[in-house]
Amino acid sequence: MTGPRRIADAELHAFVDGELGAEEHAEVEALLAAGGLEQALVAELRDLNDAIRARYAGYLGEPVPPAMALPLSRIGRERPGPVRRLLRPAAGLVLLVASAAGGYLARGFVGQPNGPEAAFVITAMGAHTVYVPEVRHPVEVKADEAHLVRWLTKRVGADVRAPVLTGTGWKLMGGRLLPDQEGHPAAQFMYEDATGRRLTLYIRKETGLDNTSFRFAERDGFGAFYWIDRPLAYALTGRLSRDELETLAVLIYGQLEAPAGAKPPPPPGKAQ
Amino acid sequence: MASRRQAVAAEIPRLRRYARALLGDNWEADDLIQDTLERALARLAQWREGDSPRKWLFSILHNLHVDGLRRKSRRPPHVGLESVGVDQSAPAADAASGRDLDRALQMLSVEQRRVVLLVGLEGLSYAETAEVLDIPVGTVMSRLARGRERLRTLMDYGGGDRDSRAALRRVK
Repeated sequence: MTGPRRIADAELHAFVDGELGAEEHAEVEALLAAGGLEQALVAELRDLNDAIRARYAGYLGEPVPPAMALPLSRIGRERPGPVRRLLRPAAGLVLLVASAAGGYLARGFVGQPNGPEAAFVITAMGAHTVYVPEVRHPVEVKADEAHLVRWLTKRVGADVRAPVLTGTGWKLMGGRLLPDQEGHPAAQFMYEDATGRRLTLYIRKETGLDNTSFRFAERDGFGAFYWIDRPLAYALTGRLSRDELETLAVLIYGQLEAPAGAKPPPPPGKAQ
Repeated sequence: MASRRQAVAAEIPRLRRYARALLGDNWEADDLIQDTLERALARLAQWREGDSPRKWLFSILHNLHVDGLRRKSRRPPHVGLESVGVDQSAPAADAASGRDLDRALQMLSVEQRRVVLLVGLEGLSYAETAEVLDIPVGTVMSRLARGRERLRTLMDYGGGDRDSRAALRRVK
């Protein structure tokens, strides 16, 4: 049998992927030009690559979530010990795994928390739903009482601070002391914006929690970002979009990470 | 170190794109990226200046993905979670065929999917792909051919022209 030599499949792939040397490339090109079924395959392979690139091209233009880029932007600060994780939305909706207890507790959650974290965020979100609708007694101690933070610090047993969010339109209403799921003291700060929406920051010692990542959970329209910044664990809960919550969580994380005693920068547009 | 961090940050969109296409789930993908960035930061000093940050980061991502799959396989899968209105769809002009492609990709073996995406989507060379995945170049090529062949079948490429495809296979 005579005729042009056949082109091996692998060679065609390599041709499409630009992996052949100049000489070999030219040879394949000439063979293809001479006709043959390989032309169709080459066209299909090109289409396939084009389709894949076109399908996912939009992702490149998407903004990187601030919490994801944050650790990278901290110039001049090498991270001590285990690196803190930010924005780790828990495993996706499809392949979810959970311990039996976590799975039970976390029913109805999106971004399913599991293990001890589940108990933490569920307690935090529960405290949110209990106290946020209160009209007359949303907080135990009002924000203007100087001892609020001192008292909560003493009871929780670590340096509890109330982040200043006025720059983003959220005003601290006050806080309360409440039991966590194991009967240890926890603190809750409540914030309100001009439209009456409310946000809570739940804080307790991180004992028993070992995952330091920044996570998101959602249930019944409430979202919560939670993270650990030793020695405390935090959960920020509200009926807000995930983006809004994330922005606030990053802001709070940044504020609370500043050395104790350092005053947070005055929020812009604070009119008083 | 600051410039290294910037170099890493610049790769985030690509890493996310790859992870999303690989996993077919945006949240899970971001989870993997977060782990990747964390490990990269912890090992920033090990990255040899002059080496492509892309290849290095893709290697880290790959290793973490492999570790993750290993862990996952040891745990029972959890099902029955109700999904709510979280938009996980990708921005795509042609949503229908885009989803077809998503589905078809997810039907490849993960080994094939990695190679198809690293070469076809990320434009890595065979040699770079081999390094990232820590496999021989020959394996890259065979997985690529098999993966693409399966994709073509799944996507019904040359659908009206099956005879010629059959002929093509016979010719080999």
